[in-house]
Amino acid sequence: MNNAMKKVRPAVAFMYAFLTLIALVSAFPFVWMALASTNKSVDIVRGRFFFGLNLLENWSALFSAYPMASSFLNSLRNAVVGTIVSLFVCSLAGYGFQVYRDKAKDRLMAVLLLSMMVPFASVMIPLFRMFSQAKLLNTTLGIILPSVSTAFLIFFFRQNSAGFPMEIVQAARVDGLSEFGIYLRIYVPVMAATFAAAAIIQFMGVWNNYLWPLIILLKKEAQTLPIMLVSITSGYTTDYGILMLAVTISTLPTVILFFTQQRRFVSGILGSVK
Amino acid sequence: MMKKGSFLGLALALGAVLVMTACSKQEAAAPAAATAVSDAPVTLTVWCWDPNFNVYAMNEAAKIYQREKPNVTVNVLDITDIEQKITTALSAGEMADLPDIVLNQDNSIQRFVQTYPDAYLPLNGKVDLSKFAEFKLDVGVYEGKNYGVPFDNGATATFLRRDIVEQAGFQVSDFNDITWERFIELGQVVKRETGVAMVSTVAGSSDFIMLMLQSAGKWFFDDEGKVTIKDNPAVVEAIKTYKALVDSGVLLQAADWNAYIATLNNGTTASTIQGCWIIGSITPATDQAGKWAVVNTPRFANVDSVNYSSQGGSGWMVFSSSKHPDIAMDLLNKTFAGSTELYETILPSSGAIGTWLPAADSPVYSEPHAFFGGQKIYEDLVDYASKVPRVKYGVFNYEARDVVGRAAAAVLQGASIDAALDEAQKYLEFQIAE
Amino acid sequence: MGRVKLERKYAVWGWLFVAPASLMIFILSFFPMIQAFILSLQSGRGNNLRFAGMRNYLRLLEDEQFRAAVCNVFTYLIIQVPIMLILALILATILNEQTLKLKGLFRTLVFLPCVAGLVSAATIFKSIFSIDGLVNIMLLKLHIITSPVSFLSDPVWAKAVIIIVITWRWTGYNTIFYLAGFQTIETSIYEAARIDGANAAQQFFKITMPLLRPVILLTTIMSTNGTLQIFDEVRTITGTSGGPGNATLTISQYIYNLSFLYSPQFGYAAAASYTILFMVAVLSFIQMKIGDKE
Repeated sequence: MNNAMKKVRPAVAFMYAFLTLIALVSAFPFVWMALASTNKSVDIVRGRFFFGLNLLENWSALFSAYPMASSFLNSLRNAVVGTIVSLFVCSLAGYGFQVYRDKAKDRLMAVLLLSMMVPFASVMIPLFRMFSQAKLLNTTLGIILPSVSTAFLIFFFRQNSAGFPMEIVQAARVDGLSEFGIYLRIYVPVMAATFAAAAIIQFMGVWNNYLWPLIILLKKEAQTLPIMLVSITSGYTTDYGILMLAVTISTLPTVILFFTQQRRFVSGILGSVK
Repeated sequence: MMKKGSFLGLALALGAVLVMTACSKQEAAAPAAATAVSDAPVTLTVWCWDPNFNVYAMNEAAKIYQREKPNVTVNVLDITDIEQKITTALSAGEMADLPDIVLNQDNSIQRFVQTYPDAYLPLNGKVDLSKFAEFKLDVGVYEGKNYGVPFDNGATATFLRRDIVEQAGFQVSDFNDITWERFIELGQVVKRETGVAMVSTVAGSSDFIMLMLQSAGKWFFDDEGKVTIKDNPAVVEAIKTYKALVDSGVLLQAADWNAYIATLNNGTTASTIQGCWIIGSITPATDQAGKWAVVNTPRFANVDSVNYSSQGGSGWMVFSSSKHPDIAMDLLNKTFAGSTELYETILPSSGAIGTWLPAADSPVYSEPHAFFGGQKIYEDLVDYASKVPRVKYGVFNYEARDVVGRAAAAVLQGASIDAALDEAQKYLEFQIAE
Repeated sequence: MGRVKLERKYAVWGWLFVAPASLMIFILSFFPMIQAFILSLQSGRGNNLRFAGMRNYLRLLEDEQFRAAVCNVFTYLIIQVPIMLILALILATILNEQTLKLKGLFRTLVFLPCVAGLVSAATIFKSIFSIDGLVNIMLLKLHIITSPVSFLSDPVWAKAVIIIVITWRWTGYNTIFYLAGFQTIETSIYEAARIDGANAAQQFFKITMPLLRPVILLTTIMSTNGTLQIFDEVRTITGTSGGPGNATLTISQYIYNLSFLYSPQFGYAAAASYTILFMVAVLSFIQMKIGDKE
């Protein structure tokens, strides 16, 4: 083993150098964003790459000129509610597709997967019409509904359920547990890691969604963060200090979620494929 | 066992039912019977897009109106992608969530009014439109009726770095009342003497070409709406001039809006030729205070044109879905079309230069501006605005803008002007064909 | 008899479980798609629509802007997707290495970009690649260039910047899937191969690649899909006009412009959107055929 290590040392050195480079490239834009949020707009445009003294000023301008606090809360509410509903609906389906698997369901799954090919730009107008007739404009339900059930998440849960042993299901049936009971009492706890991974994927999706909320939110009070970000750049003049601070703040929750849940996220995706 | 076919069948049946229900519901857009202006509490909603500029201006207008009508509350919203939101709502036939009043860019008013003629209310007889600059009123006229109350001024000017041109041995006045040829000559000297590009713009944008065209009173379409690019002497001259500006090194092309503003704030350009709302982006560079000046816009040497043009600008419109159309129009009439006080208030704090002519007589408009070396710039800009030629932007303005922008890019890359414009003409005709 | 009854009961439960999710996809995805198809057979401006048969589709064939958009998207597809997936595969291989030190830190940093919103990521890169942005400042200091490069207004560089953003944002995401795929491979297979004298490259091509085939297929289809529909990043970076001389215009962006920027032609826009669907379907089919060889 030691000999082998010595032999491949140049290769190992190269490997670390490569990884370090990738890691730096990955992290750099975040650093730039954070630094920029402490600078004046004029300095950012001039490419200043140091900490500045303008953070508090940017902060107060951001929170007074834009509905930062309410946008943040709206995004948070939409993302949390959307994630919970979506996990329930999609995991139920993924479980159903795997545990009660037959030819018909496999075909249905294949048809559902086709929906991943539907470009959002093309269903936008019919969806808007449908939602406005259903009085769903400006509502949390309206925002989350189109992304609650996604073929990707259903497929993800179905694939992960492949490792879920049928013997447990059989045994539970013998014990008299209802079919839904098996899902709720056994499947959900056993698949916790899968749920964690799916939760992160879905949370990020709803949190960062831009186009759909842009279309169905006509009321200022319901506005979400990505829309606010763009609104900062849509005036005749853009303050880049304020913009970068807003970008930083809107990236924080997903960064925190990722850092705290990373282990579960990775093991969720890793473990699920086993 | 269910086959794939039966699922498609199910989906189709489901679709058919929903389509039928959707279609059977007639779009009821008739406005509520004109309510008399009474004392009952009324809330008007207004959409616009810049908190420091038009949102601020409308809020000030609301304050003035409320002194007369305390029962009227105005809810002014800062809306992103306003045109997309309105198009979505109008195309879905759902006007319920639209505001009473909206601010529309001058260059797209015709597209909205002509595409959705029933969605907007004509203002004639309700708003006094007699005291606005003609070219601004014109953009909101459709089938003889007025749909827009002009708001901010898009009159163009050459905003000049006094210190840089003086360093090159010129006076600010050398740049006033000149042709583009002369501008290029002067610019080359400035570049040679100071190393700074004379002027900057956003690469690939048609801004320069459009402001040149309007200074000649010409556009991409004739009065009947036919495309006139190929054989339009003004378009040919504009593209030639644009190429000369770039080839001579006088014009610096910035990658995007951000980079363009940076050329002003960084002092990498000696001037910018733009609609006067650009002042809001020049003045934040406080280290350049006192170093700027304003002169008028260059004109063509070989094509009939003037030293005045317009770029940008916007106007207020009233939706037919408004529950209080009379109050909405009364608000506009008493403020943007009737209050010197409003324009006096919004000018110093936002730089929003209106196009309501009586406001120009206010002493506020003759205040010297310290950032521009004490020049009375507002007086000058209002004067420029009164001399801008009228053109019809038409319903396909954005299409034309993009097509000509690409033609200009092709010419800069070496294509012949004739070929590029020929292609632009063909494509635009293709694009606007039914 | 009892067994049949039970099986029927299970079948009902099975359909109940998949029903809510499936119905939602039918109502919120397939049904509007049918409406969009009906729309694609109509032509006109705004709400003045008339039946036009296949005219919109024929018109697309002559539309040079649409052609430019298709070419751009395929350029992204052909260059970006392979680079990203190969990079992700290499990273996953390294991160899966048992002896790797600081594995947690490296993993976190490699995955990090996928937490950024698309609009945020594009906003950040736009400022970095601007004419007086950090990239230009660094290249000038290193004397690689003598005057700043206008990355975003050059037709080739603008495409490159967009490819860089997409690659930055999605490589880590795909790495996660490959790492997951690696866990399905028993380490004993590698040990056996090593004993048989297989070197690292042989192990990679003979063991890793074939066993990862399903995951590679999944990521290829997802990336193809995403790239064909790309919108947020391009719109943020080069604006609505589609960049210098249409150099960065994408199909989704053209659809958006036809609907919301230009005099609205929803029928024509719907026809354009159907071409994306068609291309995704064909490409996925080809990829599945190749991927499922065995």
